[in-house]
Amino acid sequence: MKMRLAASFAVLLAAAPVALAQTVPQGYPASYAEVIAAAEKEGALSIYATADASEVSELLTQFRALYPKLKVEYADQNSTELYSRYVAEAAAGKTADFIWSSAMDLQIKLVNDGYALTYASPEKGALPDWANWKDQAYGTTAEPIVFAYNSRIVPEAEVPRSHADFAKLISQKKDVYKGKVTSYDPERSGVGFLYITQDVQISPQTTWDTVKAMGQAGAKFYTSTGAMIERVVSGEHTLAYNMIGSYVLQRNHKDPTLAYVLPKDYTQVMSRIAFVSAKAKNPNAAKLFLDFLLSKTGQVELAKKAMTSVRTDLQDSHGITSLPGAREVTLRPIRVGPELLTQLDQITRLRFIKQWQKTLAAN
Amino acid sequence: MTRPFRIAIVLATALMILAPVGLVIYQSFLSGPFFQPSSTFTTQAYEFVLFEEDDFREAFINSAIIAAGMTAIAVPLGCIMAFLLVRTDLPGRRLIEPLVLVPMFVSSVVLAFGFVVALGPVGIVSVWVKGIVGTIPWYLYSKTALIVIAGLTHVPHVFLYASSALRSLGSDVEEAARSSGAGPFRVALTVSLPMIMPSILYATVLVFFLGFELFGLPLVLGDPERILVLATYLYKLTNKLGTPSYDLMAVVVVSIILVTLPLVYTQRKLLAAANRYVAVKGKASAQKPLAIGAWRWPAVGLIVVWLGFTVVIPVSALVLRSFLSTWGEGVAIWPNLTLNHFRELMGYPNLVRGIVNTLLIASVGGALSVGFYALVNLALHRWRSRWTALMDYLVLVPRAMPGLIAGLAMFWLFLFTPVLQPLRQTLFSLWLAYTLVWLAYGMRLVSASLLQIGPELEEAGRVVGARPAQVSRDVTLPLIKAGLIGSWVLIFVTFVREYSTGVYLLSPGTEVIGSLLVSLWGTGAVDLVTALSTVNLVLILVGLALMFALGNKRHA
Repeated sequence: MKMRLAASFAVLLAAAPVALAQTVPQGYPASYAEVIAAAEKEGALSIYATADASEVSELLTQFRALYPKLKVEYADQNSTELYSRYVAEAAAGKTADFIWSSAMDLQIKLVNDGYALTYASPEKGALPDWANWKDQAYGTTAEPIVFAYNSRIVPEAEVPRSHADFAKLISQKKDVYKGKVTSYDPERSGVGFLYITQDVQISPQTTWDTVKAMGQAGAKFYTSTGAMIERVVSGEHTLAYNMIGSYVLQRNHKDPTLAYVLPKDYTQVMSRIAFVSAKAKNPNAAKLFLDFLLSKTGQVELAKKAMTSVRTDLQDSHGITSLPGAREVTLRPIRVGPELLTQLDQITRLRFIKQWQKTLAAN
Repeated sequence: MTRPFRIAIVLATALMILAPVGLVIYQSFLSGPFFQPSSTFTTQAYEFVLFEEDDFREAFINSAIIAAGMTAIAVPLGCIMAFLLVRTDLPGRRLIEPLVLVPMFVSSVVLAFGFVVALGPVGIVSVWVKGIVGTIPWYLYSKTALIVIAGLTHVPHVFLYASSALRSLGSDVEEAARSSGAGPFRVALTVSLPMIMPSILYATVLVFFLGFELFGLPLVLGDPERILVLATYLYKLTNKLGTPSYDLMAVVVVSIILVTLPLVYTQRKLLAAANRYVAVKGKASAQKPLAIGAWRWPAVGLIVVWLGFTVVIPVSALVLRSFLSTWGEGVAIWPNLTLNHFRELMGYPNLVRGIVNTLLIASVGGALSVGFYALVNLALHRWRSRWTALMDYLVLVPRAMPGLIAGLAMFWLFLFTPVLQPLRQTLFSLWLAYTLVWLAYGMRLVSASLLQIGPELEEAGRVVGARPAQVSRDVTLPLIKAGLIGSWVLIFVTFVREYSTGVYLLSPGTEVIGSLLVSLWGTGAVDLVTALSTVNLVLILVGLALMFALGNKRHA
């Protein structure tokens, strides 16, 4: 009896600080209660992100339910605008607490320029090592770069399964694919530039062959993902190279006309990079959000919106490998790290674009 | 109005214009962002854009060609339509008139997308034509198509200025010409239209200018063939170099500003020459519609064809797309009809707030803007002074900044000016940016009605001993009330469809539909974009119907 009483007392004692603040998530150190307490004292959180507000509304609802004392503001904008806005506001001394963008190179530049706070997330053990740089930049998703095609028009047997197949198909069936192939314009689209330069690093010969074949096939190059997807659905184009998986998957759920394939030889993996702003007014609230985003709950929520999970323990259920036909694919994640800075070197950029144009025009 | 008061208003307006413009010019001479201490003075941005960038030259030439081409299409067509609808006995003109304005209601990105759905290589109309003729006789993504579409969609701008000027003309001169045997088109070309030369010239300059900063149409229609114009070149510049280079963008804006100067100069010279023989009559005599006899039906035909191409085809394609789950060559329409996109839209966060904010900024904000334009106009009204010449030049300058850059400059101003800082995240910053960007357009809307008042009325006021301010308040303003309400309707429409200017000024709580559209377009959610555009269009139509109903009631 006494023992039991003592035990309940112990439970009570342990629970006491928890009752004051929010519960420390399972598996987190007890000291995490301090972060929560500090965050609740801050009382607010401001997020700048590229993911559309409609994509994350459920995620935010859950976060708010977890920490009801935080007033969360979420502003979505495109990656260039986000960068311009953040840099100017940081110079003026007042900006968002949490920055989350799909433009990997711009995010790494910001982190490299000292805009990020160092913070070791308790969730970082569940991340692959490519998804964390200096405990400042965190990769929060792992989304495949895919070939998309119009399933109404392209026969199943013809769909290219590898990068080499892609080049071979459009150069062999010139008449069929004349003007029907599309991709991002690396000259006018930052993400387009990133993916094609990664291709060149992984497999230079095949990539330049593909570019040359696209040139001969009179491929059309775009700046807008939406415009491209729409045109593949309508049949104006039938085959798209290097599309961001999450957009394609989303559309595919609603309209199976848009189908996709993960190239077998290698599939690039991109990640939305997040960091806590060094200038944050509410750094602790931002830390809570980072941890939540990387937690199982957050990752499952993102995966529901086709932003597949980066966590190693969710790979088979909510990661890329959970996608049909993805098991036998070699994944090549774009490392969250300083390598991305070379992307932004102007001379390298202009030189690459020149070569791309030359190859495209070669007949 | 007294002279010091006039000067004060001119100076305040000049400050409002020159603050963002000056900031951009300053930025063009720096090596990095102006807010970073490491930036130094240099002309390297100019050297780079002018001498190392082939793209800039190409974009500049394209912009000039497109601007000239669309002006050449929009101005004559707009004038002819204004003459037909205002001065003649054209059948159904009361019904047609509001329809002419519809292309102005739809934001250009969305309108362009409507053209893709209808007339693109697998567009609904294209496929139908292909079924009959065997081939598609046009290519939507060419420079020619861009010029034609830009020209036709800017007809309403010319129409507006020309029609309001034509309304204030007495019909006696036309009748004189008619009775001496001139045909209706001879009358239009040699009598009516020369009489409204100032308005036509102004519309010409404005349309040419809108052509120079054209963004939405080339963004969508120029994308596949990579046709660059100045505004899309700004986008490209950022991506080509990896990070946004404000110095280079600023140089491009400065180059557009430099185009305004000779334009305004020419306009002023032409107007000075035109004023010598244009007699703007004080009292408008009774207007009698001109009978155009056998020309009636070809004239109706012309307008119907224009309406069909510019309004019915893209808008109905767009609305249809918002009800389709999938589409394209060989896809039947009926089995794919759906309400899902609207259902999804209903669940969109901030949708209601976006709609409310849009209506607020367009109605209340629009009224305030018209008030501001009227104030500036009254300050310049019947004032022969160098200050008015200065304003002629200044008014067009904000429009030299493409919306996105204008918004960015205003964002910087609000961010780095301590007095303005608290207002940055309110609708006020957005309103100010809108008011500034549409200054040239709004000023002229108001001044068109001011020009209709005979000076003798105001002189009469002064003779009975009223002070200048009293004359403005008791004589001039009541006389232009109808004109002001008309301007308000047009500014309302303009603000509802505005999108690029607000991108940097928005913060959580101040979203507008235009910005939601841009962000949805960015994430590829075309389904939602079309649904939201349909909702937007309905809102505008309801708003217009309400205002017309109210207006008619008052007149009755």
